[in-house]
Amino acid sequence: MNRPFDLHRTIASLHQARISLVLETADVCFLISLRERGDRLSLASFEEDLLVDAFLQVCELTDPGAENPRKRATHAIQRLREQRLLARVDGAGLIRAGEYALTRLATAVVDFYLADDALTRDSLTVLTKTLLSQLADIKSAASRARDEDAWRRLVVEPLRVTVADLVSGIERRQRGLDAQQEEVRARIASLLQSDWFGAVDACESLLDQTSTTLRELNEVLLQDAAHLQALLQDIEQLAADFPHASAEQAAQRVAEHVDRVSAWGSDRLRAWSDYYQYVHRYLRDVVRLDPDRAISQRLREQIGSWLDHPFALGLAHVPSIRLLREVDASPERPPVTRLRQELESPLEEVAPHDARAALRERVLACLQSGATSLSEVVARVLPDVPERERYRATGSVTATVGLDPRARSASVRPWVSVAGGLQLEDWSLEDPEPSR
Amino acid sequence: MTDHGYERLEEVIQDPVFPEVDLALRAGQHVDADDADRYAFLVAAQPLLEPLYIRYGAELVRAPDGFFFLLPRGDRLGRRHLSTGEMLLGQTLALMYLDPATVQAAGVVSRAQAMELLANLVGEQRLIAALNPRRRRHHEHVSHELARKELDRALRSLSTLGFIEILDEEKVRLRSPLMRFAEPVRGLADPSAALQRLARRGLVDLLELGPSEEPPEEGDEG
Repeated sequence: MNRPFDLHRTIASLHQARISLVLETADVCFLISLRERGDRLSLASFEEDLLVDAFLQVCELTDPGAENPRKRATHAIQRLREQRLLARVDGAGLIRAGEYALTRLATAVVDFYLADDALTRDSLTVLTKTLLSQLADIKSAASRARDEDAWRRLVVEPLRVTVADLVSGIERRQRGLDAQQEEVRARIASLLQSDWFGAVDACESLLDQTSTTLRELNEVLLQDAAHLQALLQDIEQLAADFPHASAEQAAQRVAEHVDRVSAWGSDRLRAWSDYYQYVHRYLRDVVRLDPDRAISQRLREQIGSWLDHPFALGLAHVPSIRLLREVDASPERPPVTRLRQELESPLEEVAPHDARAALRERVLACLQSGATSLSEVVARVLPDVPERERYRATGSVTATVGLDPRARSASVRPWVSVAGGLQLEDWSLEDPEPSR
Repeated sequence: MTDHGYERLEEVIQDPVFPEVDLALRAGQHVDADDADRYAFLVAAQPLLEPLYIRYGAELVRAPDGFFFLLPRGDRLGRRHLSTGEMLLGQTLALMYLDPATVQAAGVVSRAQAMELLANLVGEQRLIAALNPRRRRHHEHVSHELARKELDRALRSLSTLGFIEILDEEKVRLRSPLMRFAEPVRGLADPSAALQRLARRGLVDLLELGPSEEPPEEGDEG
């Protein structure tokens, strides 16, 4: 199953690997020359001598006086290998001269520059018919598939590889046709610039040819896309019933691809139709009415002298109708007043809370209950006091205990730990001795 | 409505497209074939609308290039003429419309191209002076800024009037009504004689450019 594409990870890894592609004109020509030889001689790979020979030929054509062409060939081969445009396929290392093949990247570069794969009615018909036949086979296999292995071999893989490749083939040719259209547009502009009135017929012919091609392609796409989608839906349904998630996803992906391909037809036809109308209007209103191309020159002069002989086009200028608001008898509104409230809220009677008095009460209660030392009183009282007030409270307790007549302080007072990590110099609480 | 058009004015007025076309024409807009619905309506209703607008003292003009616009002839309907910025830019865009180089992109050009061509044709200093008509001396960059703003305003106005279509911040599509700017030079006659003829028909107004040409802006001194 395909792993989901992670753009960030991919970009990060490309950046880390410092991927770059630097191709000189000679390199591109070299690749094209290799592709041509491969096609002509039915070669899947090229021996090193053949590579050098191809490069020397390119060099002769592009740079006849170049010095050390063999050395340049070696460098070029090395450069293309480093950029993964040529791959060594024999695996023999230093034992013998190598064999090389063009990589996918090199093939794509060559395809781009050759651009001979534009979509035609015939190529599209062949491709869609093949696609229909493949999908019919896959549907039949899907209806018979009873286990995971059968689904993978007979449905998922063919959908992923064969069918996807066929649809990609159509897309690639569509891009080729897009490039052709661009060329036609550029050619029409260039014909008009060079031959003006004489170019009208040639321009109309170019427009009509492309329009016919696009209309035919769109017809084929509209007709066959519906069949393709129906077959794909059947396959998807069979996969959902089995159930087989990968097959379902693969069918969905191909269906999206087919949608894109058929949308291309209507999009391009619409865009071309706009262009077609524009150019026809241009030929009719501008070129035919101004066969000597004099209006442009005269208009140029008019603009240059406009500030000396100004004029302005007249236009209708009726301001928008002013719409008055509908009259609405205003309802009686109560005067705006502030909510009345007492300036001072009445006082509430609450019981007084004197923390110091309460503490004193608790200390006296401890003393009455027979506490024998200051530390004992403090230890009994402090747990009820919030922690941050304990230090101050200890002082208050000591002051209250100090007033008790039983309090005795030894000349050397022992340090005693009380609650909360406090230590104090202890006093004892002794009853007074009876008088003699 | 019949296959060939409307038979009675009532049918024209009952058509849902009528109010917006009528308002557009009265606001000075030009309607061309790119505006398919409104254009088709006008083509079909033209024979019945022409007498209607004559009663308002205006002419429903169908130009040789096919587009429609309304031209007031009396004082029953309001009338204005294009400003200096609109005229200069409009003529430049018309020149670009005629240029076969713009055919490749189906008449889509960039604002920058239009401004550059205008500056080349008129001369930068003259252009800035023409677009800052109150003769008050400004710092150079202020004058440039004012001229740029005036041209931006002109571009938006030309788009509202149907001469061009603004596609985005940078691109505009040229439309056939731009050919109105080339009207004085379309025939073989002397351009000033052609202008006089157009002025008599009410299609153009002959101007005297001066400090009072542009109304003072709000909040401006003097």
